[in-house]
Amino acid sequence: MAAVLPPKSTGTYTFASQPRAVQQRKKYRDPLAPQQQQQPQAPQYGNIMYDRRIVRGNTYAQHTLPAHAQPDPIEIQRTQENRRRAIARKRAKEQLRPRSPEPVEGRKHMDVQTELYLEELSDRVEEADVEIQTDAFLDRPPSPLFIPAKTGKDETTQILEGDLFHFDVEVKPILEVLVGKTVEQSLLEVMEEEELANLRSQQRAFEELRNAELVEQQRLEEQERRHREEKERRMKQQREVLRKEKETAEKIAARAFAQSYLADLVPTVFGTLSDNGYFYDPVERDIEQGFMPWLMESVTEQLKKSELGRLVLDGLLREVAKTRRELFDKLDVAKTPDPTVATSLTKESSTVEKKEMPQISIEQQGAPATTTEGEEGDKGDQEPEAETEEQADEEGGGDE
Amino acid sequence: MALTVISAKYPPHIDPTKTPLAYGSRALPRLKRELNDSTLLVRQRAVMALCDHLHDPEHIAEAFRVDMEPSEDDIGIAASLKKLLSDPDITVRQKSTECLFIIAGHAIGRSAFLDHGIIPVISKLFDDKEDIARKNSHMAIEMLSETPQGAEGIVTAELVPILVRKLKEEVDEIKELILDTLHFCLRVDTDKALKSGAMEVFTELLQHSSPVIRAKAARDIMDLSVILEGKDKAVEVEAIPALISLLKDESPDVRANAAGALMTITITTRGKYTAIKSDGIQPLVDLVDDPTSEVRAYVLKVLTCLSEAPEGRQILLNHVDKIKQRTKDSIPAVARAAEIAVKVIEWKP
Repeated sequence: MAAVLPPKSTGTYTFASQPRAVQQRKKYRDPLAPQQQQQPQAPQYGNIMYDRRIVRGNTYAQHTLPAHAQPDPIEIQRTQENRRRAIARKRAKEQLRPRSPEPVEGRKHMDVQTELYLEELSDRVEEADVEIQTDAFLDRPPSPLFIPAKTGKDETTQILEGDLFHFDVEVKPILEVLVGKTVEQSLLEVMEEEELANLRSQQRAFEELRNAELVEQQRLEEQERRHREEKERRMKQQREVLRKEKETAEKIAARAFAQSYLADLVPTVFGTLSDNGYFYDPVERDIEQGFMPWLMESVTEQLKKSELGRLVLDGLLREVAKTRRELFDKLDVAKTPDPTVATSLTKESSTVEKKEMPQISIEQQGAPATTTEGEEGDKGDQEPEAETEEQADEEGGGDE
Repeated sequence: MALTVISAKYPPHIDPTKTPLAYGSRALPRLKRELNDSTLLVRQRAVMALCDHLHDPEHIAEAFRVDMEPSEDDIGIAASLKKLLSDPDITVRQKSTECLFIIAGHAIGRSAFLDHGIIPVISKLFDDKEDIARKNSHMAIEMLSETPQGAEGIVTAELVPILVRKLKEEVDEIKELILDTLHFCLRVDTDKALKSGAMEVFTELLQHSSPVIRAKAARDIMDLSVILEGKDKAVEVEAIPALISLLKDESPDVRANAAGALMTITITTRGKYTAIKSDGIQPLVDLVDDPTSEVRAYVLKVLTCLSEAPEGRQILLNHVDKIKQRTKDSIPAVARAAEIAVKVIEWKP
């Protein structure tokens, strides 16, 4: 099938049409027919032997498509070149043709008829004259007007002069009435409209004045309102200013009072504070807080030691006295007592005391140099003296 | 008067000249009887004949005199027309509304309108699907609204919100009528219109292509902003820039009404500053020498209002000579306005 197809088409060709009765040939030529015939009627059945779509004859010799269905590239190029050349030729021809000048801006060329009497060119069919001789064909004669057959009898009558009215004369009064009525009516309407128009124009003039005056009144009202508001605002402002001034004066008075009140506050405060001991010398405070307690503690310790020494001495003395007494008693028992012994005894005791002193001074090694220096000198003295001196030392320390 | 947009299309078989009009004083009683006829053709003819007949003020007076002495079997002409307003036939409706329009042009007609309560009935025709019936009914209402009593009647009939709504959707020819009606109604009461968003609608209409509608919308803004809320609303919906652009319009009416609207809005301080900020002074100064006296008077008033603001005064001090020339104007109102303007501009604290 593909072999018989034209190379351009891709599908198979199919054709179908409704079956239709053969048209009867008309007996007469219809006078209206030529117009109808121009319009394309139902497609006529043609002879298929002349149908271009139908392949006739032997198909063997015809050009067949190659198996790969790909057209030859050279062939394509040639056809394209041919087409291009044809287009170029056409364009060249068109350009060569003389043309009318370009249309003015905003217009365009139109085809117009230049004949004196214009006629409608409804369609342009290419025509070719072909002559043929046929039998003479008679035109159908037009149908004659139908006139019914006359019935009844003919009658005649005589019209005399004056029987018929004279139109021009008789119509006059009627016409006058008609025209008169119409004019009267139209006059009424025109007058009515005129009156309305007059009223309107008067109204308009009045409105112009009224509007202007109304606006003037409103403007003045508005002005008055603004002025009143401004006045109120000003008054309010003034009142505010006064209030502020008063407030400021009060503030200044209060400030002055406060200043005078507070003038001697600072010295008092300092006095009170220093009285209460908020301001102190750090060295003094350190001596008071740290050194003096330590000193007192050391002194107490020292005193305790000397007391202990004294106690021991007392014990020794008592022991010595006791033994001496016993000895003395034993002696007394032998002979009467001698008073010189007693005195020598006292002397002995004092020497004993003196002998023991260095021992004590050796024991006092831990004390600070400053204090021991003063005390060492005193150590050589008798006990009661040392005691009093130490007490005086204590008091002197407090004075420091 | 008759535009091409809305035209009366009468049925072709009616010839009003064929209606036999009774002679003299019998004409109206007979028409009245025929108005209540059950045959459509008779009603149509009667109403058309009545329409032509009523153009004479004497006949209107006579018609209501007939009403004054009602016979027991039938009702008056105003009441018959009221009944015909709800007639199914369009010709009857349209012609009866036209009759009412003619009647409303006269004082006795308007009082009859209010007496018979025709306003609510005629307002139902605002929704009629025939343009001509709607137009005639709006014309009648507009004519009625021209007097304070009529406008009050319309306001009490709660027609203002309806009219504002109609203003958005009607055809242009009817819009003009509605704007006129609202103009008169706003004299009586502005609250209802403000609440129903009339200011927004008017501001929108300022951009309309028809100069008549632009002028009337500007005039209605002027009416609406007479009260303080209206002025504030106008500033809110940004009517001022639109009005200032209308000052350059070709139509003198538009210019005059735009200047008038600005004049009422710029009373408030907010309005003044908005107008100054939208560069309104220069176009206004250009209009001081306008050929229309109304424009001149209004523009001078606007300038007076604007010069109360210090910024406005500063600019206007440069133009004070131009305004001074206007004090010799041939129209006394303009001359006085110019004098006041000069006084306010040159005022020093």
